[in-house]
Amino acid sequence: MHNSIRKLVVGPVMAAMALAAPALAQDSDFQPEKMTAFVAAGAGGGTDNFTRTIQPMLEERLNTKITVINLPSASGVLAHQRTANSKPDGTSLDFASSTFITSRAAGQNPVGLDKLTPVARMQSDVMMLVVNPEKHETLEDFMAYARENGDKVVIGGTHAASVDRMAFLGLNEQSGLNLNYIPYDNEGSAAASLLGGNVDGMMNEISAIQGYMESGEMKPILAFAAERLEAYPDIPTTVENGWDLTFGNERGVFINAETDPAIISAIEAAFKDIFDSEEYQTYAKRSNLDVRPGWLGSDDYRAALEKDLAFFEKLMEDM
Amino acid sequence: MFQDLLGGFGVVLQPINLLILTSAVLIGFVGGALPGISGVILVVILLPVTYSMEPTGAFMLLTAIYASSVFSGLITAILYRAPGTPEAVMTAIDGYPMTQRGEAGKALGIGILSSAVGGMFGTIVLVVATPFLADMALRFSSPEFFALAVLGLTVVASLGGNLLLGLIGVCIGLMVASVGIDPLTGTIRFTFGSLHLMGGVNLIPVIIGLFAISEVLKRCQEGDVHLAAKSFKIKILDWPVIRQIRTTIIRSSILGTAIGILPGIGASTAAMVSYSETVRWSKDRSRFGKGAPEGIAAPEAANNAAAMGALVPLFALGIPGSGTTAVILGAFIVHGLTPGPTFMAGNSDLIYAVFVGLLLVNVMILVFSKPFIAVLSKVLDVPYSVLGPIIVICCVVGTYSVQNSMMDVWLMLGFGVAGFLLEKIGFPLVAIILGVVLGPIAESELRRSLALSQGDPSIFVTRPISAILLLIAVALVAGTIVAPILRRRRARFGGGA
Repeated sequence: MHNSIRKLVVGPVMAAMALAAPALAQDSDFQPEKMTAFVAAGAGGGTDNFTRTIQPMLEERLNTKITVINLPSASGVLAHQRTANSKPDGTSLDFASSTFITSRAAGQNPVGLDKLTPVARMQSDVMMLVVNPEKHETLEDFMAYARENGDKVVIGGTHAASVDRMAFLGLNEQSGLNLNYIPYDNEGSAAASLLGGNVDGMMNEISAIQGYMESGEMKPILAFAAERLEAYPDIPTTVENGWDLTFGNERGVFINAETDPAIISAIEAAFKDIFDSEEYQTYAKRSNLDVRPGWLGSDDYRAALEKDLAFFEKLMEDM
Repeated sequence: MFQDLLGGFGVVLQPINLLILTSAVLIGFVGGALPGISGVILVVILLPVTYSMEPTGAFMLLTAIYASSVFSGLITAILYRAPGTPEAVMTAIDGYPMTQRGEAGKALGIGILSSAVGGMFGTIVLVVATPFLADMALRFSSPEFFALAVLGLTVVASLGGNLLLGLIGVCIGLMVASVGIDPLTGTIRFTFGSLHLMGGVNLIPVIIGLFAISEVLKRCQEGDVHLAAKSFKIKILDWPVIRQIRTTIIRSSILGTAIGILPGIGASTAAMVSYSETVRWSKDRSRFGKGAPEGIAAPEAANNAAAMGALVPLFALGIPGSGTTAVILGAFIVHGLTPGPTFMAGNSDLIYAVFVGLLLVNVMILVFSKPFIAVLSKVLDVPYSVLGPIIVICCVVGTYSVQNSMMDVWLMLGFGVAGFLLEKIGFPLVAIILGVVLGPIAESELRRSLALSQGDPSIFVTRPISAILLLIAVALVAGTIVAPILRRRRARFGGGA
């Protein structure tokens, strides 16, 4: 019985591999037998979905077999550490979100950019200040209310060392307000608090609040972006208010820093090819992750991360 | 609505969907019965499979697995004191003593019936009252969650045995729960520099260690070669027993559904609170912990009801009520659907098919559980010298699989030895679990409440729901302390009169 099952499963897989191999062999010289994708987040979340969507696309392009391992504990620090300690042969990848850099700024993450090299950034979501429209209609309303009741205004967000918190701290610093931040364990609890009227506002990404925006129960009043978003031209931005704060949650891929640059380039090229594919863009559109262009190559991504890290560290210090 | 329900039946009764539901129930059974493999993990494993399915089938599959895995955690909890899922911890307290007494069949029958009734009750509430209840759930904020966690912690007073040891146990649990990153400030606490401890101590290794491993150790020492119940017959419709547990089932189903609806509070908490309420309403508290049928009925009706209740805020608000529903929310988004206020109206076909599917799943639990357990219980004929190591292997693999962490396995074995030693002095192990499960909720919600009120503690008594919950908790503890004193006094004075 075991034999027949094996034949059933292995047969078609082998056949498919044999068919696919010659066609793809020219694409890249880097074709490891198997790879490991460490996910610095729990199963089922945004970063996990991102990884599992990419997995078959990357397998096809590098002609390999990828095992996905979720290491959500401690803001994903274990995923960064396992990748940094892996053999530098390019077969271990770390799929991470902005938490990589925010937890570093908060002193939780001992693995820095000296041990991990960014390969590519694939997504760049837009941070929003979201309010309950029953309480506040526009950014002006909110700001007037906040100036009057500054220390009573409470903003919810997810986690203490997150991009939500960094955006909040940045807003407080640049706008001269003195708002309070309450970290919740997950987005859902923060959203429930906003819907129930227990907090005055919430930091969240645009991709996460679509349903509530359509039903009119939540209203984003400030986009952390340089220019107004094409899809949401009515939402004012931080930069037009004179606040230099442009971030949101980002998702990308990291690799052991000792890896041969040629291999890193090969993997980066594979990711670029995935990013440009229709299949990936359909996924990005469906998950509302295409509001802002996501792609950054290895060098640009490193520069962006270093800039963010310096800014976040300063915010944490000033607090 | 009836039109929608009929439509739902039409969809569910298609052969392909019936096949999906049946296989989902069986997958859920197997996963739930294995310690360490919980509903969350099963749903995650099957998530990629559903990408290529059409949404209705996909969500029937995921929700059905979710429902049946919550149920089947009771099997190993009752037979081996190795709760298959965290939700089934409370079931082991009275279920395992019944097995030891040779009443495994009766215990399983009670568990199956209570689960199915609780699950069906929760589903009916889900069908009838989702939009209305979702608004109610939003009235619960940090102060109410804190009050609910405190109420749950008072279970320790109704556990019987030595109250002082129980309180020490809760404190140990609270200490374990405080390891890791501080949820509000991000400060690292009690990790001794270990990266593995930064994420805190996971619940699964604590439960499996304290309950399953300690039991294996105990039986090793006793040289016990066979389980007391070598063979048993499950009787689900046992009328004298049903008469005894029916009020418990009804009360626990209502409580479980209500607690499940609250965002962020899961079926484990529901099982704990229902257990404590059942003990409190009972005339003879001393039977609990020694194999009382109500002690199985209460947590099982409640956790299955709560699992369904947790779907209410998911569908109506897009807010997951528990870990597994959070993953299901992710699945919706991958399928291009956004649960939330506008979701119900726009996707009634899908939702009613899922509702009808869930009703059917609870019926299937009644029908399929007997043959499933019959197969599983063949294992009982194996001598314990073989079975014990198999249980340990399952525990090790299951614990490792939760976070791919060897540290968890060492923790689990450590808790196993600790549980073995603590039980020798009659320590109520479940008190530790109470602390670990409810401690983080109590701590972070207390601090969040005070942040909301700018440090003013009156927030707990000025909000009616939290005030009532806290009052009940105080009354319960006071009653436990005062009642014996009164009784002694009455015995002294009453005897003389």
